[in-house]
Amino acid sequence: MVFSLLLLLGIFLLTLQTTILHLLPDWIGRPDLLFLLIVYLGTHLDIFKGAALALLFGLLMDIFSGIFLGLHPVAYLILFFILKTIDRHLAITEPIHQVPVVALSYLFTASSIFIFASMLIDQAELNWSWGKIILQLLILSTICLPFFNLFTWITTAFDPKNRQNPFRRARTGNRFRA
Amino acid sequence: MRKRSNRAKQLKVFFLFGLLLTLILILIVSTVGRQEFNAPHKLAFEVIGTAQKNITTISNYFTGIWANYTSLINVREENKRLRDELQKFKATNNEYREAVATNVRLAKLLQMKESLPSPTLTAQIIGKDPSEWFKTIIIDRGSSDGVQKGMPAVTVEGVVGQVVNTSPHYAKILLATDPNSAIEALIQKTRVQGIIKGTGTAYDVNYVLKNCDVQEGDHIVTSGLGGIFPKGLPIGVVSNVTKTRRGMFQKIAVAPSTDFSQLEYLIIIMKKDSLAK
Repeated sequence: MVFSLLLLLGIFLLTLQTTILHLLPDWIGRPDLLFLLIVYLGTHLDIFKGAALALLFGLLMDIFSGIFLGLHPVAYLILFFILKTIDRHLAITEPIHQVPVVALSYLFTASSIFIFASMLIDQAELNWSWGKIILQLLILSTICLPFFNLFTWITTAFDPKNRQNPFRRARTGNRFRA
Repeated sequence: MRKRSNRAKQLKVFFLFGLLLTLILILIVSTVGRQEFNAPHKLAFEVIGTAQKNITTISNYFTGIWANYTSLINVREENKRLRDELQKFKATNNEYREAVATNVRLAKLLQMKESLPSPTLTAQIIGKDPSEWFKTIIIDRGSSDGVQKGMPAVTVEGVVGQVVNTSPHYAKILLATDPNSAIEALIQKTRVQGIIKGTGTAYDVNYVLKNCDVQEGDHIVTSGLGGIFPKGLPIGVVSNVTKTRRGMFQKIAVAPSTDFSQLEYLIIIMKKDSLAK
C-alpha cells in the first residue's frame, strides 16, 4: 500500500514539475519535488521498498529528462544507499538534521549527474551554474520539512497496518479474555 | 303593581320604536336631501381623517423603509448578477483574444509549413525537462503519427531541435540549446560553414577558421548538410566573436532566433528515411 502510494505520489510530483512548475518565473526557481521524495525514501523507508522506488523514479526521470538512459537511476540509487548508510550511524530523521541532509544530498546528486553526463557527452561540456544550484538548495531547504511531514502523513494516513492511521478500524470483540 | 310594570314596559317599547323611527327618518332625509356633511359629520370626519392620515403616514414610512430594504436587496442581487455577467463577458473576451492570438500563431505556422518540404506535422508542447542539466521537451505526437527519432523540429522563428525518443503518442525533443545537440550550419552572408552546439541557453559555432570573416549581427542558418535539417532555416544571430592566439578556430557565440521560453507549438518535418538511425 505504502509502496503504491509513494509511487503514485512520485508520478504526480514529476508531472507537476514538468508542467505547472515550469510556468514559474526563473528568478523564483522550480523546486525539484521528486528529489525531496528520493531523500525521504532514503531516510524513512526500509531498504527494499526504498531502493525499488528510487530505481523506478530514476527510470521515470530518464524518460522526461536528458538523453542518457540510466543516468538518473544510478544517481538516485547511489544517493539512497549513502543515506541508508548514514542513517545507521546518525539520527538524520530528526527534523533539525533534515535541512542539511537535503542540501548536501542535492549537492551530491547534482555533482554526480554533472560528472556522469560530462563523461558521456561527446566534445561538449555542461554548464555548472552556481546561481541555479544555490537557488535550488535554498528552495529545497525551505520546503523540505513541510513536504517531509506531508509524505509522512500520506504514508501513515493510508496505511491500514499503521497504528497511527486515523482511518484504521478498531478491532471488535473481547480482547481482554483470559 | 303588575299593571304599573306592564305600562312601564309598553312605554319603553314605544320609546325605542320611536327613536328607531326617528333615526330612519333622519337617515332618509339626509340621503335624499342636499348630500352634504353636517357639523357632526364634519367633526367625525376631521377626527377620523386626521387619524387616518397619521396612520397612513406612519404606514407609508414603514412601507417605504421595507420597500427600500427589499429594493436594496434586489439591487444587491442585481449588482451581483451584473458583476457575474461582467466576469463572464471578460472571460469570453479573454477567450476570444486567446483564440485570435492562437489563430495568428497557427496561421504563421501554416505559412511556415507551406514553405517547408512536405510532409510536416504540427505538435503541441506538453512538458518540459525538470532538470537543470538538460534541455528537452515533450510533444503530443508520437510514433503512431509517424514521428521518428532524428526528425527535425522547427517553428516560425527557426530551428528548435530534433526528436530523440518516441512512444506511440508522445515524443521527446532534444532542443538545439542542449550541449548534446549539434547542427550543421553556415553564416548566411559569407557562406562559411560550421557546427552549431548548444550551451544551455544559446549556441556556439564550432570549427570556423580564424581567417574566415565573421562579424556580430551575421545571421546563421542551417546548411542542409547532414540531411536532417532543410537548408536555410534560421538558427540565430552572431552575438560575439573571439579570436584567441592559440588554436585554429575562432570562438563564435550565437543568440538563438527561437525564443525557447515561449514555445507552445512546433512543426515536425517528417522524413521517409531518418538519418539519425
